Amino acid sequence: MPIKLPWLTGIFPALVTPFVRKTEEVDEEAYRRLIRHVLPHVDGLVTSGTTGEFPYLTRKEQQRLVVIAVDEAGGKPVIAGCGASSTQEALALARDAKEAGASAALIVTPYFLHPSDKGVYQHFYDIATGVDLPIILYNIPQVVDRYLPRTVVEDLTDLPNVVGLKDSSGNLTYTMELLEYVGDRIDIFIGHDEVVLPALAGGVSGMILASAQVYPEVWQEVFRLVGEGRLEEARALQRSVQKLSRIFCRYGGGVAVKAALRMMGLDVGPPRKPLKGVGGALIHETRAEIRLELEKLGKIPVEETPFEYPSGPLTERFGDLEITPEVIAAHHMRIGSGVAGEGLNKVQIDLIAGGKETPLGEAYALQLTYPLHGREALTTILEPALTVRPATLLLPTLPQKNLRQANMIYGPTQSALARAIVDALEEGLIPPTAVDDEVMVALATVHPRALDRHALYQSVYAAATQALTQAFAR
Amino acid sequence: MGYKTEWLKGIFPALVTPFTSKGEFDEGAYRELIRFVLPHVNGVVPCGTTGEFSYMTLEERKQVIEVCLDEVSGRVPVVAGTGCPSTRETVALTEWARDAGVTGALVVAPYYLKPTFNEVYDHFRAVNKVGLPIILYNIPQCAGTHFKWWTAEGMLLDLDNVIGIKDSSGDLPFLDALFEKVKGKVSIFVGHDEVVQPALAAGADGAILASANLIPDIWQRVYRATLEGDLETAQYWQQRVQKLVRIVVRCGSTQAVKEGLRMMGLPVGDSRHPIMPGGAFRREDREELRLQLESAGVDKIKKAPVTYDLGEKQVETEVFATPQTPRTISGFALKVGEGFAGPPFQELAHVDLLLGLKDGPVGRAIERAMAGWGEERGLRIINERPRTLLVPTVTIRTAKQRRLFYEHAAEGVNLAVRLSVEDGFLPEAILDDVVLIVNAFVHPAASIAKRVEFNNYKATRHAIRKALEGRPTVEELINEKAAARHPFRYAP
Repeated sequence: MPIKLPWLTGIFPALVTPFVRKTEEVDEEAYRRLIRHVLPHVDGLVTSGTTGEFPYLTRKEQQRLVVIAVDEAGGKPVIAGCGASSTQEALALARDAKEAGASAALIVTPYFLHPSDKGVYQHFYDIATGVDLPIILYNIPQVVDRYLPRTVVEDLTDLPNVVGLKDSSGNLTYTMELLEYVGDRIDIFIGHDEVVLPALAGGVSGMILASAQVYPEVWQEVFRLVGEGRLEEARALQRSVQKLSRIFCRYGGGVAVKAALRMMGLDVGPPRKPLKGVGGALIHETRAEIRLELEKLGKIPVEETPFEYPSGPLTERFGDLEITPEVIAAHHMRIGSGVAGEGLNKVQIDLIAGGKETPLGEAYALQLTYPLHGREALTTILEPALTVRPATLLLPTLPQKNLRQANMIYGPTQSALARAIVDALEEGLIPPTAVDDEVMVALATVHPRALDRHALYQSVYAAATQALTQAFAR
Repeated sequence: MGYKTEWLKGIFPALVTPFTSKGEFDEGAYRELIRFVLPHVNGVVPCGTTGEFSYMTLEERKQVIEVCLDEVSGRVPVVAGTGCPSTRETVALTEWARDAGVTGALVVAPYYLKPTFNEVYDHFRAVNKVGLPIILYNIPQCAGTHFKWWTAEGMLLDLDNVIGIKDSSGDLPFLDALFEKVKGKVSIFVGHDEVVQPALAAGADGAILASANLIPDIWQRVYRATLEGDLETAQYWQQRVQKLVRIVVRCGSTQAVKEGLRMMGLPVGDSRHPIMPGGAFRREDREELRLQLESAGVDKIKKAPVTYDLGEKQVETEVFATPQTPRTISGFALKVGEGFAGPPFQELAHVDLLLGLKDGPVGRAIERAMAGWGEERGLRIINERPRTLLVPTVTIRTAKQRRLFYEHAAEGVNLAVRLSVEDGFLPEAILDDVVLIVNAFVHPAASIAKRVEFNNYKATRHAIRKALEGRPTVEELINEKAAARHPFRYAP
């Protein structure tokens, strides 16, 4: 029967492993900087876990990480990730970790070849009996492709130095089952950033998280509040990091954490290949999303861009299209404008419709040859392969500085405009003759820092409907 | 102990159930469909999965089976789908089918609530007592449970009215286990269109297929060739229709078959909700299915004359026409077409295409762009007949992006133009009169060059046809506006 370790509680970041660009060598200085950055807000450190890209590290490198961590930790415990596919390798890593001064070893469920439950038990048994070091079991079915069976855990907790289990599955039914069967004997740690609060409320002892090196102080506060039974406040905090936590868990893992740290001024280099810094699990759009969330958390300064909503006579707002008030009058073009929403969700739509053979037709074609850098026009669609009619171009009036901002235009703005147009078609506001004979261009002014896609959709729909009504109601 | 019948072999289409625009069973269309397939098949299956049995009332299923029996009038066996989630209803419907005179019943594994295998066994034991020849039906994609070979073997050997099993899983090791255990004792049918030829070659007695609504003649060829030991011919035809049937099987089979039939001139309506046009059977799948149906050897969509009215001149051409293809096309000043093809996400293609007269707005835009910012902004003329301007939607920043865009995306666009010239949509006589602007998107994270090429080929080919035919139609837009799902509308 194991004895619970008094220190095995609280917040432990699963540290990334910094690498030097090009050479992919471990960047020890960056590792030290990272540890100094997180140390004030954490109860201990975890080296070479999944976030630390352990399968890409040599045995020597892993031991070196433990040495550095122990050196920097100022007496706080260091849990060494000692995961390996083979028992022999995992045991060797655990012995290295012991020698380097680690306080415990985190051992992942053996992966790749699929051992039976007996094989899994034997793996942990051999390690626990082969090294004089507290052992933390590690369930992470997302990468191992199987759960660590609860019955195997039950038996393993009879070993004196099996002291804990980290559950990264995010499956609370599994977490609760473990708490039910072994919670009195070992410490259960939550390893899934999206469900920290419910897991803490359910009774886990602490957390080992990738995000605990990005916003450890948030987790510290959540941990304290739950301890004091102040769930309302804890929920609000969990919610404030929900989206970033989701991105770290599902859309990029350690790669996304590295991207976030870099934005915060802690350059920890790229991941080792075959992972890509961006363009693999972490796509460019999501990376842009991380920046915005870090701004919201106050982790990086907000880039304020001064801008204005277009004003003045409506007939003079289509100059970018070379459409002057005289052209509008001469070709009987229809124009309309609408404004809706508040604050970041305020949207203005200035819309013009006219015959394909008027200068508007040429302006339409010209826009698709890309003359306004950063303000690329796109065809308005309900969804890909569902282009609205009459054919309508959506043209942002403000430069699109990143993919996230572009996504606001080409996601919620585009689909809301499309919906307003098709609704106007169905209601007969747009006459059937316009479907084939006319084209439209909608100039959309969306706040550069807009981020609530749902609210933005509503604003654009309302503004576009006003603009269409003004343009077509005769 | 089950037994093997003489009649349960060969190609059986799992008939779609035609619905009118109001959603009622369309008897006339059903009879026409049966007449279309009958010369090429060894039997028919009304009210199977493709027949949307799970969206019909018991009364409707009975009506459909009756019409089927009447139209077939004994010329081939009729195997009716009589499966329901509960044993009680399944037995009642199977008894009705027995009295109505069907040849056999295809009984799906009970679904939704997931009974254990001993419960499934007792379900079939109860159905067995009806006295009608029974075919077990394994379709884990829908039922949520996959027969184990020993359950199948147990039922096939224990139950005296079981004459066969239809396996739609596509799981060849499972099928091979069935051959090992029960071959020769009952009929073994394959129900997965992508593996028909290997299953027949390995010993399957026949196939019940969704795509046999569309290409019964080709499946008959595969079946005959296999019987005659001519594996090469059988393989040839399987491969010839592999893409067609993959679209059907994986992209919303009922709606796919129905839209395929509609494009072939056999209107059978849409699937009942929640299956809908542009759903699992995506718009781009429809374009690809159309191309497959019109391809040489399949020949299910025929060419028809179309007049292009260019204002100053009229051009006669012949294109593979569906009922949506206008017989006269005008308004060549500016036509807009959009195409989308993917996955994978990183290599997906999105094309905004403009087609218009050289001396109209599109032609003038090209000349102004090339005289002005063309070079600096990475615009490129990639073809002269028709004059085609390729425009990158996002700024090209890296050498990899440059290679993927100007070599591979461009190659895909040019292939689409070339094939559209060949198939008549861009007839020779207009190549000096019209020009194209192709605004194409290649994601900065794209890697797989061939995928970039193929997806841009598809998106452009679709966009050209959509521009000319004026699609999507206002009606399609109105029908789908509420359910449309824009991929960038939601946060990660």
